[in-house]
Amino acid sequence: MTTARLPVADRRDVRSATWRLLTDDRRAMITVLVLYCASAAAGLAGPWIVGRIIDQVESGTTTTTVDALAATACAFVLAQVLLTRFARYAGHRFGERALARLRERFLDSALDLPMSTVEHAGTGDLMTRASSDVATVGNSARDALPEIFLGFVQMTFMIGAIFFLDPVLGLCALISMPALALVTRWYLRRARDAYLAEGAANTELAEDLAATAEGARTVEVLRMRADRIGGNDAHIGAAFATRVRTLALRSVLFPSIDIAHTLPVAATLLVGGAFYLNDQVTLGTVAAATLYLWQLVDPINTILIWIENLQSGSAAFARIEGVGKAPAAPAPSGRTPDGDRLDITDVGYAYLPGHDVLRGVTLSVRPGERLAIVGPSGAGKSTLGRLLAGIDAPGTGRVTIGGVDVTDLDPAELRRRVALVTQEHHVFLGTLRDNLALAAPDADDRRMFDALEAVGATWAEALPGGLDTMLGAGGMRPDASQSQQLALARLVLADPHTLILDEATSMLDPRAARDAERSLAAVLEGRTVIAIAHRLHTAHDADRVAVMENGVVTELGSHDELAAAGGTYAALWRSWHGG
Amino acid sequence: MPIMPLADPGTPDARGPGRYLWWLVVRQPLRVLRGSFFGTVWMVGLTLPPYLTSRAIDDGLRARDTTALLWWTAAIVAVGAANALLGMMRHRTMTFIRLDASFRTVQVVVRHATRLGAALPRRMSTGEVIAVGSTDVNRIAQVLTFVGPGVGSIIAYVVVAVLLLNVSGLLAAIVLIGVPAMVLLVSPLLRRLQRVETEYREQQGILTALAGDVVSGLRVLGGIGGKELFSTRYRQRSAALRDEGYRVGAVASWIQACAVGAPALFLAAVIWLGARTAAAGDITVGELVAVYGYVAMLTTPVYFFIETAYDFTRGLVAARRVTNILDIEPDVTEAPASTPAPTGPADLHDPATGLTVPAGVLTVIAAAEPAEALALADRLARLTDSEATWGGAPLASMPLDELRRRVVVADNDAYLFAGSVRDTLTPPGDHDEESVAEAVHTAVADDVVEALPDGLDTHVGNQVRTLSGGQRQRLRLARAVLTRADVLILIEPTSAVDSHTESVIADRLRDTRAGLTTIVVSTSPLFLAAADLVAHLHDGTADTGDHETLLRTAPAYHALVDRRTGDDQPAEASR
Repeated sequence: MTTARLPVADRRDVRSATWRLLTDDRRAMITVLVLYCASAAAGLAGPWIVGRIIDQVESGTTTTTVDALAATACAFVLAQVLLTRFARYAGHRFGERALARLRERFLDSALDLPMSTVEHAGTGDLMTRASSDVATVGNSARDALPEIFLGFVQMTFMIGAIFFLDPVLGLCALISMPALALVTRWYLRRARDAYLAEGAANTELAEDLAATAEGARTVEVLRMRADRIGGNDAHIGAAFATRVRTLALRSVLFPSIDIAHTLPVAATLLVGGAFYLNDQVTLGTVAAATLYLWQLVDPINTILIWIENLQSGSAAFARIEGVGKAPAAPAPSGRTPDGDRLDITDVGYAYLPGHDVLRGVTLSVRPGERLAIVGPSGAGKSTLGRLLAGIDAPGTGRVTIGGVDVTDLDPAELRRRVALVTQEHHVFLGTLRDNLALAAPDADDRRMFDALEAVGATWAEALPGGLDTMLGAGGMRPDASQSQQLALARLVLADPHTLILDEATSMLDPRAARDAERSLAAVLEGRTVIAIAHRLHTAHDADRVAVMENGVVTELGSHDELAAAGGTYAALWRSWHGG
Repeated sequence: MPIMPLADPGTPDARGPGRYLWWLVVRQPLRVLRGSFFGTVWMVGLTLPPYLTSRAIDDGLRARDTTALLWWTAAIVAVGAANALLGMMRHRTMTFIRLDASFRTVQVVVRHATRLGAALPRRMSTGEVIAVGSTDVNRIAQVLTFVGPGVGSIIAYVVVAVLLLNVSGLLAAIVLIGVPAMVLLVSPLLRRLQRVETEYREQQGILTALAGDVVSGLRVLGGIGGKELFSTRYRQRSAALRDEGYRVGAVASWIQACAVGAPALFLAAVIWLGARTAAAGDITVGELVAVYGYVAMLTTPVYFFIETAYDFTRGLVAARRVTNILDIEPDVTEAPASTPAPTGPADLHDPATGLTVPAGVLTVIAAAEPAEALALADRLARLTDSEATWGGAPLASMPLDELRRRVVVADNDAYLFAGSVRDTLTPPGDHDEESVAEAVHTAVADDVVEALPDGLDTHVGNQVRTLSGGQRQRLRLARAVLTRADVLILIEPTSAVDSHTESVIADRLRDTRAGLTTIVVSTSPLFLAAADLVAHLHDGTADTGDHETLLRTAPAYHALVDRRTGDDQPAEASR
């Protein structure tokens, strides 16, 4: 119910994580660095040689000299192509390795999250991190980082080349830099939020359109056309406003860059011209410096185009790293339970202080017993189920198996003893075998087929690929009742002593639910079962029934006792049977 | 500056994708003209700096004329500043043109989709409509770029041609043919790069899906085990993607290198030729610098031009998707000659199953096949045309708007739209606090609303995924009750709530809807027992009676509604 959010790494953590990611592969990083510099250096030849040619032409030269210089230029271009290729390739490989490390570490952190964290934070946030954030970082690392890095190297080398031509001209090249830095700083301070807002507004607009399409029938039935159009127009208005905002930022940035690009050219012509007229530099030097300045616009543009992307990449990176910062589960005490008796002693629980969901619940379930828990929504049934499964620790009181607190058990040990079955029947992308093996990695085909058969999943035998049939998108798509059977077959394989069923069949249509209940009967055989009942027939078949209302157990006894007692349960049972 | 959203996006020309794109252009004629103007002036302006620089070198430096140098340099700064402003104006105008196109498209699609209503999901997968919102509108908008820089590119090209012809005929020929040829050579490379990367992104998408899959199954992995298994599997796939990335990198790096190298090589060749011409004294040193500048500059318009051609091919596909949606017609339309709907309570009759639903009472339909009940509901609410009648007159000829107001189907999976819970709950019309509270009470959703941080004013997302299935179901029910429709058809309204709550809902629904016609499709004994009339729908026909009688006399009905584990137990034994 409460939405505790997963942590996000702070700036310092992000910086050190980035550094770690880069230096884990130190030698490759140095190779990439060297190759990038070499390719940028080779790219400097063009204007330099044009300058030399101009000087030669001015001093009246032969075509042979010009030919030699031009041939050198071509050779440098070829060298630049080869160096760029190997630099890029090395960069690719380096990036791929870094990304693989990043995503694998992320998944391990996600898998290590304690169950209570997953329950409370919900899987939505984690899903976003797993899907869009990992992809965003991937794109940044693959596209933005190399482009920006190469851009910086090229920019530095070009300015360096002008300094080498003539230090004063080099200073001329830099005259716009302070202004450019200021404008860029101004822009970047605002751009990230503005583009995030734009992205969010776009997503909302697309989602709104999707909702209209998905809910088109509801729109017609409930005559919501005007509402939907009005709502969509409002989303368009909001999206438009964010676009205007980012456009305003670009309206400052773009002309500033253009002007910042023109000024050094003018300064170089004037200062270089004055030097030339005093015979301090050659015409070729002035021309070469001018050409470098023209070319400088490319790396600057590249940097500015990608730097915004890098910003969103670093925000996504902070969220990915944050998952590893979530508090770990408390270490299990390692005590071994004595038997499988479940005891709930005076348990209380609250998600929010002051809002008790459970109050003083005491129950004992002996091995092999079937207990049904019934009661209205919000009575605390599911919360009790989660405490029994060891996902949450009780606020007060104790939940023990064989005398040991469930939260003190090693997760693997706990799984061998207790399994919680909910309405969620997740079918994993992968083969049928993958989907079953998670419960029993060592099970052979025979055991898997036996488990499927036990729960009535006869369709599995008929699959063309057998256990290796792919399930989910692009493969066989199990329907709701087949998914449920898979979930149940996993239980047969996992073979826990105690099962907690939380409205396990309630989301299925009546027909599928009937099949599922039949399958379920096979799984329940010989186990302790605590069923949070949705339909009363489950209660009827149980050894004992506990009625929960407002966080307390109000009635406890066998079906017959309670039906005869004339309380809540009896009234309900009568209406259930149309009496 | 335009204001979005448009009050009226107009009637689109959906006769074809090309016509649709053209429609988007002619809807904003002035802005398009402005875009063409700025696009052209800006692009032509780009040719000036190389020219001015060459004059500064020739007339200023080489002629040792300080005044000329100052003037030409001042001109460079002035042109640079003017171009910066023009570039900004171009970008602004083009952005507004693209925004108009994309938002106008969203507006016409939404208007059409809401007109189609129930016909839309029958005729087209919602994924296609969603694709319009997420990618197609951007591609369509991108096409509109041609009206600005697209036009400007052609004119700028001609201007450079004239300037170059003044320098040297041979150089002009080589540059004017060479630059487009070179861009044509590089563009497929860039496209190939895009393709290679797209393939890789697909692989990456699969791995992402795998991570998402593991994350959404974390509860299962935590409850049953298998974390190591999935971690290992993910690592394997991740390594495979890394290797795939190496392969992509091997190709992509060549393409990237050539994309940079081809223009550089061409430039070197031109310079070689120019240098020889200059050495021979046929062109000046300043002109040599200008040629260098033109070649560098000319790639901009030529790229624009070729990209525009590419944008067109993608834009037409996107526009086709839009016109495909706009081409769909609603399934049910206003009948030409209308019969008035009954003014008061009246019986509904469905000839297909022979079912007559009496006016003003609660009828519960227990269907052997859920799909049959859904089809029946569609006929009774005229979501499809049929022979069904209301008060003896055919539904098919009654005014549609009145029918929608008075006969409402509440689907089990009816959509809950984002907004405040109050908005989500209230169908069109005026609803005072009291009636909202009453409907919430009837649906036993008081606890759902109370648990929300701001009660009815809490903002919720589409389909309210933060709530459980049972909570959502009760919100849907409250919304349906709030319509106070003369005929309300509820499909499995309580399939996800517990028996306690279901029995309360059945009672309250009876009270709230006293005197109104209510049809509930359900196999729950709690609802069936509360019904005034029970219809057992099987094999295309409906048998009617009361719950008790049907339980005794119809074994198939008994088997359908009594869901105890042992199906063979007779009903009497459990009493």
